[in-house]
Amino acid sequence: MSKPYYEFFCPVKVVAGNAALEHIPHELRTLSAQRPMIITDKGVHGAGLIDHVLAAFEDSGMEIVEIYDDVPPDSSTTVVKNIADIYRQKNCDSIIAVGGGSVIDTSKGVNILVSEEGNDLSEFSGVGVIKKPLKPFFVVPTTAGTGSEVTLVAVIADLEKGVKLPFTSYFLLPNAAILDPRMTLTLPAHITAMTAMDAMTHAIEAFTSLAKNPISDAYATGAIKKISENLIPVLNTPDDAEARLELAQASTMAGIAFSNSMVGFVHSLGHSLGALCHLPHGLCMNLFLPYVLEYNLQTRADAIGELLLPLAGADVYARTPQADRARQAINTIREMRDELYRRCKLPRTLSETGKVSKDQLPKLAEMALDDGSIIMNPVEVDMDDALAVLEKAW
Amino acid sequence: MKQLLQVDKGKLVRPYVALMMDVIGRALEASSQVDEVIQKEVRRLPPDCRFEMTVVPNGPSFAVQKQGETRLKYLGGKASGPFHVSLKFKHLTHAFLVLSFQEGTAQSFANDRVLLDGEISDAMKIVRCLNRMESLILPKVIAEKALKRYPQLQFKEKVAEGSRIYKQVVSNLIRG
Repeated sequence: MSKPYYEFFCPVKVVAGNAALEHIPHELRTLSAQRPMIITDKGVHGAGLIDHVLAAFEDSGMEIVEIYDDVPPDSSTTVVKNIADIYRQKNCDSIIAVGGGSVIDTSKGVNILVSEEGNDLSEFSGVGVIKKPLKPFFVVPTTAGTGSEVTLVAVIADLEKGVKLPFTSYFLLPNAAILDPRMTLTLPAHITAMTAMDAMTHAIEAFTSLAKNPISDAYATGAIKKISENLIPVLNTPDDAEARLELAQASTMAGIAFSNSMVGFVHSLGHSLGALCHLPHGLCMNLFLPYVLEYNLQTRADAIGELLLPLAGADVYARTPQADRARQAINTIREMRDELYRRCKLPRTLSETGKVSKDQLPKLAEMALDDGSIIMNPVEVDMDDALAVLEKAW
Repeated sequence: MKQLLQVDKGKLVRPYVALMMDVIGRALEASSQVDEVIQKEVRRLPPDCRFEMTVVPNGPSFAVQKQGETRLKYLGGKASGPFHVSLKFKHLTHAFLVLSFQEGTAQSFANDRVLLDGEISDAMKIVRCLNRMESLILPKVIAEKALKRYPQLQFKEKVAEGSRIYKQVVSNLIRG
């Protein structure tokens, strides 16, 4: 499909591979920073991952000034304010986020406050409110899924007002994303599987969305190929650093793709299920992906068919007639999910989660229709359509 | 060689966009008075919810505000904020593409031509109201270009609902 107009933007430097962490001191120096603060969570710290970062600073002539390791899974403006206060007290001049989605979003919030010299994060909520570059900000992902290291958004809860504040600005993008295989080596199998399927969904929805474009397509197909080829090997051999790095790169590539082409109905349903039934985001993505692709076949069969190549490889693609490729691509995803269910009990249906009741389906459908991602889905979705997809996913 | 009538399209774009925004604002108000599907969406908007469609930095605009349980009131082209939801075209040309039905609303979002400010879930309800209204008042061949999917509407239903909306627009104009 040709497209008359698109935009693509990703200024994040990607520092990836063996001993990538050891590049951080140099990268900080190039930005005239020398007093970094690490923001992380107890799980990451407890797993010993911060030790790798600290070791990277040995003999570098630079020290980590502060380590804040108490970011909760669902962060809030209060947490952000507390961390910003510590940053100021310790006279830090840069931030290194080490963790997953919550840590990264929290760090983006902290960077807003310390750079804008503010105390009320809500003043900066919205699109394009932040107008100037922020403090040097690096992200070291410890999961391979969210892609937050290359996105310009953050969502942080204001618990007092009971709302989630969205922040969107080019200035929220980190200066660099550091992908070091050591940081994901110890990730448990079920989290590895969930987060990989999150990245897979980012890439597939970017490739099929209304905003797809040639450059994000390239990132998306690259990411899908890496996940297809490396997820099962990583589950077989968790300490395979090379395959781990491939998944980490895939996650970042998928993040670049979806931050430019957006996501669709899988995310609309997933956000709703996550909010209503408190299920992990990656689990929700894995669950809904094939059902939504089947729904989107009506206008996106060609694009879905093209995905068979990165999903299943050249041999399968070549021997599958063009008319059957879209179905075969969806079948390949189903087979992958079956394998993940066998290994990690990652649910494939709503009933397999054991946490959803059938009378919640109308509410889930209603919430999905109000989710912003639905506007980029290539096929219009109404209440009946959403319910039908949920029934299939039951 | 035949002499073609010279028309300065640039000069026509702004008044066209202004006129279409006025038409859409009034049609949205009228639709909320007669169409149950739109009323259902409006009911779920917060009380006094205000929506604005505009062109930055100072192009044509219109605004509507929720009134009562299910109705939208047209506020004209010079209403001041704050707005719960603001849909801002980045350029007059981008608004023209959408309002001349060369590019659908969703495609305009996808093409990064629109900035959306405010509560996303309310914005989605308002976009559905706009889509529903367009499907009712526009000829099918035009509505199909503006929408991702033209809804299953019987011809009789479309004509009847569309006529009611147009009548309501006239009635509102007369009543001021």
